[in-house]
Amino acid sequence: MKTIQQKIWMLVAIVLFVMIAIWLTLTFYNQKTQDQYNEILQRYLEMNEVTNASQQVITDLNNFLIDPSFNNESSLSSSTRNVLAAQSAVSELRNEENDFILTNYINLIDSFVETVERSVSYQNAGDADSSLAEFSEANRISTYISEMTLSIIDSELKSYESFYRDIIAKSDDLNQMGIWLFLMMTSFLLLLAYLFSLSITRPVHQLRKAANELSKGRFDLPIKVDSNDEISFLARTFDNMRVSVNNLFAETQMKAQLEIELQENKLLLQESQLRILQSQINPHFLFNTLNTLSKKAYLEGSEETSDLLVNVAGLFRYNLKRMDRPVTLYEEVVVLKQYMEIQKARFPDRLHFHTEVDDSCLTIEIPGLTLQPLIENAVIHAIEPQEDGGHIWFRIIDQEEEVRIEIEDSGGGMSFDKRKQLLEGTIIPENGHSTGIGFSNVMKRLALFYSRESIVSIDSEEGRGTKIMLKLPKTRGIADAGEAADR
Amino acid sequence: MRKKVIIVLLSLSAIFLVFTIASAEKVFRPSTELPKSVSTTNGSPRLVLITQELETSFWDEVAAGAKNMALEEGAQLEVWGSYGTNSDEFLKKLELAIHSKMDGIIVQGLDTEAFNELTKVKAAFYGIPIITVANDVPKQESLRKTYVGSDQFDAGNLLAKELLIDMEHQGEIIILSDEDSQYYQQQRIAGMMDVFKAYPAVTVTNSQTSSSKEQVVAAAQDFLNKSPDAKGIVAVNANHLAAMLQEISRRTQVEPYHIYSFDDGPDALALLEQGEVDALIRQSPEEMGKKSVELMIDWIASESEPLDTEGYITDIELVKRVDGS
Repeated sequence: MKTIQQKIWMLVAIVLFVMIAIWLTLTFYNQKTQDQYNEILQRYLEMNEVTNASQQVITDLNNFLIDPSFNNESSLSSSTRNVLAAQSAVSELRNEENDFILTNYINLIDSFVETVERSVSYQNAGDADSSLAEFSEANRISTYISEMTLSIIDSELKSYESFYRDIIAKSDDLNQMGIWLFLMMTSFLLLLAYLFSLSITRPVHQLRKAANELSKGRFDLPIKVDSNDEISFLARTFDNMRVSVNNLFAETQMKAQLEIELQENKLLLQESQLRILQSQINPHFLFNTLNTLSKKAYLEGSEETSDLLVNVAGLFRYNLKRMDRPVTLYEEVVVLKQYMEIQKARFPDRLHFHTEVDDSCLTIEIPGLTLQPLIENAVIHAIEPQEDGGHIWFRIIDQEEEVRIEIEDSGGGMSFDKRKQLLEGTIIPENGHSTGIGFSNVMKRLALFYSRESIVSIDSEEGRGTKIMLKLPKTRGIADAGEAADR
Repeated sequence: MRKKVIIVLLSLSAIFLVFTIASAEKVFRPSTELPKSVSTTNGSPRLVLITQELETSFWDEVAAGAKNMALEEGAQLEVWGSYGTNSDEFLKKLELAIHSKMDGIIVQGLDTEAFNELTKVKAAFYGIPIITVANDVPKQESLRKTYVGSDQFDAGNLLAKELLIDMEHQGEIIILSDEDSQYYQQQRIAGMMDVFKAYPAVTVTNSQTSSSKEQVVAAAQDFLNKSPDAKGIVAVNANHLAAMLQEISRRTQVEPYHIYSFDDGPDALALLEQGEVDALIRQSPEEMGKKSVELMIDWIASESEPLDTEGYITDIELVKRVDGS
């Protein structure tokens, strides 16, 4: 990942590198040209030096001839040395073009120096005329030297002319190149700066758009940024945040949903509690009254009525007590029998109740009032509508792991759809009976109590009666099932 | 928008880059080669050819021949000299050449005291061999090593014979020469006189002039006045031809005159082609150049081998005007 800082550094480095490269090249180039200029100037200066030195020698020689003092002699020899030094400097300037003339030049200087020496030696020997003749010759040669200097410089100019013109042309070219280079660098840098700014602003723009979407509440659009710097990091973080917010949002919504359901359930519960309270108006008073009625009936000799009332009272008490507590199967069976006694009193001729109870199974625990509503259903469907009465079979069968309880009637049975509705608990109560509700209530309580479904099964066909089977495991499944039942 | 900007900037950069590279190529192309510097001279003999008459066709040919030969032999040769027979300048060049310690000097002979002084004293002092070319000087006067060029006596001889045939061995002939008659002119005149003396019917008049144009014109007027019947005119110094012809044509027809001369003047050949001059002695200037350089190099290479001091004679021929009238 490149950070924005790195990008800036890179841009600056590129610009700096290019600048330095150009600067170095131009400096190198200038230096080279400068060196050439210097060299050329140096040539001219050195050649000119010969002329000056030779003229100085002539002056000194003249002085010496007029006054051959030691001073004049030493200044003459020093200026002669100057000439020789200038000569050796000039001999360095030899090249292919000026080889010939330079040799002439150097020889001419030699001749000059020799002539001067001869003049001096004649003077020392006292031959003034010869000395003077040599002096005039030296003077002439000095003139030749300065002439030849000029002609050498002239030929130098000629042989270097194309070079000079080249330098001038090149300096023009250099100016032109400078302009082009400037234009190129300008456009190149503009391009670079544009691309660079784009690489920063485009992701920011994308991020801004994404933020806009988020602020509008669209949390489902993924945030995409084409970048590899901090912005992309920012975008990824932002995207993570979006996902988290989205999840939180969904979770909150779900919780709100649950809250609403809970609220509804609470209302229902309160309502049902109210109903229960209403329906339990002084049940003990009713229960005591029933007992009193039973005694009264017994005292008046109506034993049957008395028994009936006792049964009703027992059933009633059981109802009050056992609604929310597990009971043994034995207690259930007792209540069932009491209930059936009452029903028999209602339908003395029509109700035929048969029981087959395996007593060894009566110790298992079972939610209270589970069998009574089923039997009640059987009575309602099999006995009440039948003029000729009907049969109800109640069986408790030991089946090793579980206890099977069967309640069979000889009623009209039910259709497949109805049975299905019944098992799924979606039946709508009809003709005043709360059959469906009672049945599903039992089913739910059993499922909760044993923590498993399919405790209840129905075997029925239209016109052939109904058989309800409960398969109760002898050992209760899970611990919390008991708690659920305790509530 | 973004793409447009990028494309525009990119293409601009590319265009400018191309221009920059093109101009950079111009700037950084190798500059004109400076003459290569050499530390010492290559040791080949340095010769100089000095003439009084630079850039005349005759001396150009001499110089060309000399240069070719020098190139062949690996010697360095320069041609110095003066224009228009300026003897002061010429002598100065000669002195310069001597003081420059040339290995050999090939010079157009000039029969003057100063010339002889230079060649005999100065050159000998520095031990520089001198070969005269085209025009000789007396060998004992100048201490020249040898002479390369035409035998001027023979040349005068040849010219005179042809002129006599043209003039049918009779009539008056005017010989125009320099006042301070050069050695080669003396030779030419001697050659001519050697022929003329056998014919008594031929009279010869010597007319002398100095080298300036006005003097030549004056001399021409003079001999035309004095010898109106003269039919043959010989310009011993070809340099005088143009001025002389100009004066003759100003006065009268050039046609009747038999005008003879030599080829070593600046416009001699041109005048022959124009038909102004009837005949010229044609020498071998290129051969002179070649031979002189060759001899000089031989001399320098082995000084012991003596050169023929009498000189090495090159060919001459007589060239007549084409239409022959």
